[in-house]
Amino acid sequence: MANQTAMLAIKGYSKTYGENKKAADNISLTVERGDIYGFIGHNGAGKSTTIRAIVGVLDFTEGEIYIDGHSVKDEPLTCKQMTAYIPDNPDLYENLTGIQYLDFIADVFGIGAKERQQSIRHYAERFEIIDSLGDLISAYSHGMKQKLAIISALIHAPKLLVLDEPFVGLDPKAAYTLKQIMHEMCEKGTAIFFSTHVLDVAEKLCNKVAIIKQGRIIASGTMEELTHGASLEAVFLEGVNE
Amino acid sequence: MNKNSVLLRTLMLSTSSRNCFRYCKDSQKRKKIIGNTVGMTVLYIMLIAYCILNCVGYSQYGLEEAIPALCAATISVLSFFLTFFKTNGYLFHFKEYDMLMSLPFAPKDIAACKFLYMYLKSLPWYMSVSAAMLTGYGISVRPSIAVYPVWVILSLFLPVIPMLIGSFIGFLIAKIGSGFRNKNIVMTALSVLIVAASFGLRFFLEDMFRENKTEAVLTSTTDMLNAVGSGYLPIRWFGEAVTAFGISGMLLLVGSSALLFEIVFILVGKSYRKINTALKSHTASGKFEMKAKKNKSLLNTLAFKEYKRMTGSAVYMTNACIGEIMCVMAGIGVMFVDMESVLKTVMQDAPVTIEMLLPAIPLIVYFFIGMVATTAFTPSLEGRNYWIVQTLPIRKLTLYQGKMLFNLYLTVPFALFATIMICIAVKAPILSAVLYCVLVVCLCAFSTVWGCVCGVKHIRLDWENEVEVIKQGTAIAVYLFPNMFATMILVGLAVFLGTIISPNLITIILIFLSSALTALSYRKVVKLSK
Repeated sequence: MANQTAMLAIKGYSKTYGENKKAADNISLTVERGDIYGFIGHNGAGKSTTIRAIVGVLDFTEGEIYIDGHSVKDEPLTCKQMTAYIPDNPDLYENLTGIQYLDFIADVFGIGAKERQQSIRHYAERFEIIDSLGDLISAYSHGMKQKLAIISALIHAPKLLVLDEPFVGLDPKAAYTLKQIMHEMCEKGTAIFFSTHVLDVAEKLCNKVAIIKQGRIIASGTMEELTHGASLEAVFLEGVNE
Repeated sequence: MNKNSVLLRTLMLSTSSRNCFRYCKDSQKRKKIIGNTVGMTVLYIMLIAYCILNCVGYSQYGLEEAIPALCAATISVLSFFLTFFKTNGYLFHFKEYDMLMSLPFAPKDIAACKFLYMYLKSLPWYMSVSAAMLTGYGISVRPSIAVYPVWVILSLFLPVIPMLIGSFIGFLIAKIGSGFRNKNIVMTALSVLIVAASFGLRFFLEDMFRENKTEAVLTSTTDMLNAVGSGYLPIRWFGEAVTAFGISGMLLLVGSSALLFEIVFILVGKSYRKINTALKSHTASGKFEMKAKKNKSLLNTLAFKEYKRMTGSAVYMTNACIGEIMCVMAGIGVMFVDMESVLKTVMQDAPVTIEMLLPAIPLIVYFFIGMVATTAFTPSLEGRNYWIVQTLPIRKLTLYQGKMLFNLYLTVPFALFATIMICIAVKAPILSAVLYCVLVVCLCAFSTVWGCVCGVKHIRLDWENEVEVIKQGTAIAVYLFPNMFATMILVGLAVFLGTIISPNLITIILIFLSSALTALSYRKVVKLSK
């Protein structure tokens, strides 16, 4: 593991919808550099609400979120410059070609021409999508769109990668490639925070996990601390059924 | 290139037909793009011809000096209303909000880029009006050559201030609406109030001038536009810059546009994320209780689906219901105002009596109702959810029938209400009133079916933002413009012919004509459904 400084620190974050419906309730967690942190919970538990606040999409009033020591509220651009986000169902510009979309992201992050070309080629080849980059995104399948969104998140080498259900829609080979890339990135010191329903994936991939139920973290820590040798599935079911 | 230029360029590219045509491999889709381009070109030519003819008409009455102010007023009004109705879908609550907000852009910059995108997309329309009026002005006044570049350059700035005002009002509505549970209903109600207030303001101003005994001044169009220019300064600045090369007018128009742009987007940027968070959040009460259910017929089920689609979108609701609400307001309003004075105000003292106007009543009501037919955009609105109805065991025709039924449910009661109330207010004979009711129902049926023809023929499912199909799709343009011009001509014809032959006979002819057109359009829908 690389330098053990908090890459993502959530402190007392709460999000209330309507008058008193709490989608996230006093959430606190820390993701260090090199961590692959799994965020698990049932549908509507508050995973996406938390993730959208981390990446600066959702407005919130209670608590603080820091990325590499910078407050998401006070320094949003600094935070976003070092973060990449992949939503569960990416809404891309359908009338752009794949390469036009990647060029847009690269331009926004100020990636140089040579570096951009290398990076796009590298990831597009690994996800076997390079031949389709000249086609309109509207002609892509759901999985191809997901792959394109993943490539767009990787080309600017983020320090923090935030993914919402990243394996949904990916074919087994692409899912394997993504897992490999996640391992490679965490070895280089990138912190990865992702939500998933697939407990098997979380168990094999993550070194840390948090379980969220009705907006509250009910358990968190390293995989060993949480499971004590039992399966993550058993721990999760025990937690959510309590 | 800086980040904001990159975003603006990408937004333009993402909805560019040229880009789509260049990279699309589907020959059907390519043909459709060519067809749409041809259709839009025809509409541009129609608009340009209309504006030039308008200018020729003005110069024939010796009012050619009013053309610059008329041009500025037309562009300002158009850009205000077009922006106001689009703000909710373009600046707020758009599909790719999450993607853009997660990138390193300041909220202010995203809002500003979206505004500039909206401006650039509408600019060809405004510039067509400007170029056409410049041509008309050039033919009739033969100004110095320097007028041409000044006119064209300043025309680029003319829509900016009204668009900023429209956007800012849209922002305030979104800000207020986002605080309520029924956001869409509140936002629609506020939007309608603003539109009604705009119309009311016009009559109020005119009334004010009348009370000040300035009728003589207002009878001259030139002076009336000057009066408007004194209230809305950019019209005066444009007029001064073009006719007298007033440097101050040029600088004020350009400078105030830039200053207002900065101020508006500093203010919008401050609450941008908060408003979008509220608009995109839906609370789940979790208190559902299963109650006894009732079966609905298939067509009513499809119509109900359309109703729920409408109430789920403020953009849809504002655009679809504006005519209906105007009908209600007109229907109630005529009970409390003196129709003679209203007629006098509307017709600018032209020699038209209420009796002469009687055969035009259903056409005037239709002018409110028929300018939007939900069927012209609901086929496209299915968008990426189209698979749901495609995989259900229903024929395409049944789906379109459901959409048509919904439009009839939406339009007929309001059209009848307004017609009956106006008939009562003007004391129309019973037989005439019945015929007007029949005609207005026939016109609603025609608008529904003709809208469906346009909607199905120019269906577009790959939109990025619903505003693209609700406000500015090819289907809408093809439906709206011929319908609007035809209605205006018919109003004139009905009034004119009503002085020569029996007004009831005119109504009967129109009933047969609209029924025949409805039948023909329906046959086309059946054909398109196969």
